[in-house]
Amino acid sequence: MRVLVVEDDPDLNRQLVAALSDAGYAVDKAMDGEEAYFLGETEPYDVVVLDIGLPKMDGISVLEQWRRADRNMHVIILTARDRWSDKVAGMDAGADDYVAKPFHMEELLARIRAQVRRASGHARAEIECGPLRLDTKTARVTLDGQPVKLTSHEYRLLAYLLHHTGRVVSRTELVEHLYDQDFDRDSNTIEVFVGRLRKKIPPHLIKTVRGLGYRLSPEKDEA
Amino acid sequence: MKLNSLAFRLFRTAAVWAVLVLPLAGLTIDWVHKRDTYQSFDARLSQLLTLNIAFSTDKGGPEPTIPRNVGEPLFELAHSGWYWQITPLDKSPGKRLVSTSLASETLPLPSKLDLAPDRYNIIWHEARGPVGEPLRIAETLYNSGDDENPHFYSFLVAGNLEFAETRVRDFRVPLIFSLALAGLGLVLSTFLQVRYGLQPLRTVERRLAAIRSGEADLLDGQLPAEIEPLQTELNALIQSNQDIIERARTQVGNLAHALKTPLAVITNEVGDDTSPAARKVAEQATVMRDQVSYYLDRARMVARADVIGRVTEVRPVAEAIARALARINRDRDIAISVECAADARFQGEKQDLEEMLGNLADNACKWASSQVLITIATEVRAGERHSHRLLIAVDDDGPGLTPEQRAQGIKRGRRLDETKPGSGLGHSIVADLAQSYRGHFRLEQAALGGLSARLDLPAV
Repeated sequence: MRVLVVEDDPDLNRQLVAALSDAGYAVDKAMDGEEAYFLGETEPYDVVVLDIGLPKMDGISVLEQWRRADRNMHVIILTARDRWSDKVAGMDAGADDYVAKPFHMEELLARIRAQVRRASGHARAEIECGPLRLDTKTARVTLDGQPVKLTSHEYRLLAYLLHHTGRVVSRTELVEHLYDQDFDRDSNTIEVFVGRLRKKIPPHLIKTVRGLGYRLSPEKDEA
Repeated sequence: MKLNSLAFRLFRTAAVWAVLVLPLAGLTIDWVHKRDTYQSFDARLSQLLTLNIAFSTDKGGPEPTIPRNVGEPLFELAHSGWYWQITPLDKSPGKRLVSTSLASETLPLPSKLDLAPDRYNIIWHEARGPVGEPLRIAETLYNSGDDENPHFYSFLVAGNLEFAETRVRDFRVPLIFSLALAGLGLVLSTFLQVRYGLQPLRTVERRLAAIRSGEADLLDGQLPAEIEPLQTELNALIQSNQDIIERARTQVGNLAHALKTPLAVITNEVGDDTSPAARKVAEQATVMRDQVSYYLDRARMVARADVIGRVTEVRPVAEAIARALARINRDRDIAISVECAADARFQGEKQDLEEMLGNLADNACKWASSQVLITIATEVRAGERHSHRLLIAVDDDGPGLTPEQRAQGIKRGRRLDETKPGSGLGHSIVADLAQSYRGHFRLEQAALGGLSARLDLPAV
């Protein structure tokens, strides 16, 4: 999952990027409104953590412009301005959630997980596909109840596929959602990680749809 | 009409004028008229006396004769009150002559009463006539002889004083009526002047009320030149008041941002560090967070205190908050509904209504099982200063609170369940805000089964 952190305070920005990266997200950062608008306009983020009080362009304006441009990624507003008028303005501008400063990182991570689940249509914190189970709270994957040891990149790939169980996901989409903008985007990398995953989980779960991409599905027989 | 009003002052001035000055003027006019009437009466008697002498001595003899023409027909009418009498004095030749009206009666001679004559040698006296009528008598002594052989005669003319007295009396009726009419007219004209003259002040009063109720922003419109400076100063005051509020809000917002972002950094920097120092920093950061929130809210309230001219339509605010909360809680399958009276208008700041309603609805959403109901009604209470009231109820179908918990629930920082997120300041902020608007906040048992948070606020 790819997250954009928009926060002008360098310390807080650093903390957010570190915490989200540790939680397994591909994270990009922006320090002002214009940069945030550009990134949100050009990159396919799953979730954006957006501060309201930003230099160059305020967060509400950035959000409104994204929504006008039909950018429908989930946005969590993060701000010190915690009056209800600010919250209502933020939600009316198109935000999906609101976190007031100062906040606990765990609370923000929980909100981000909720938005990621919501984006893929999952109401519960656990996502299952056959014997495979992902606990989004703890970022743990189990197979028939047994933990599956995964590297960071493997976890990101499997988690994305689990969030989109049953849907064909292209290699491009995977690259765009699993890596930040600084990553060397070689689609072969995806194939390498898919190969590694197939060795750790039942191989039939990840189907290759020729010319289109991959699909995670519990069924064994594919047409 | 109030005793300390301008209208009463003007009325009092007019009343004093009417009660004191008009009677005094009446007395003066009556006195002048009476004097003129009696002077005219005397002048008439004096004239008749002169005629009497002239027409009774024009034959050249030493004795006066009956005057040919006395110029007054009433001398011929018996006991008319108008008489003349010629009386020889000191053995002067001739006999006493009298007017037909006097018949056989005799009038007393003032000259015998030792009265002083006026500068025309006329002796004036008042006496009763043959039938008791009041008489004014003018007498003069005439010498038809010479210094060596004088022949003195008393020439006397009397007039009925009732003529003069009636005239004086008759004049008083229209005089009193006219002055009473003048007094009434004065009071009436003062009343009209007050009504017309003070009309601009009433206009100012109405427009200020409109500003206070939020129907107008400034004291606009054309007002008389005397009130224009007041209008200008009031508008400047209102504008200044609004500017101060806006500046205070901006500064509070900036302060919030300036304090809360570093607090967030501190809180997250210690993160999962379990060392005593890190725990102490985390603990103190939490205390600072709560204190900052509390005093920022207080600062906002102080900045808002008694701000004038603000009215907020309630329905859009309630619907916006319900919309925002529905979006935030969309995974929890909670139905948030708003039932709002069409005429619900809060007499106060939109941000404050949002803060109260938002905190209550947010709290209701945290505890609700499936339903939150926001009900807004209006009420008019006769006899109260702010008679129009806005009644807000935010009900949920959650577990609710016991009566003891409800009493504790609105105290500052009191969190009845630590498992739900929040600083515990929500209800106390609502209570403080409601109180600052001279409103009330209380917690009750909801019909839905959970908690019912109720607000009673001023409405328009």
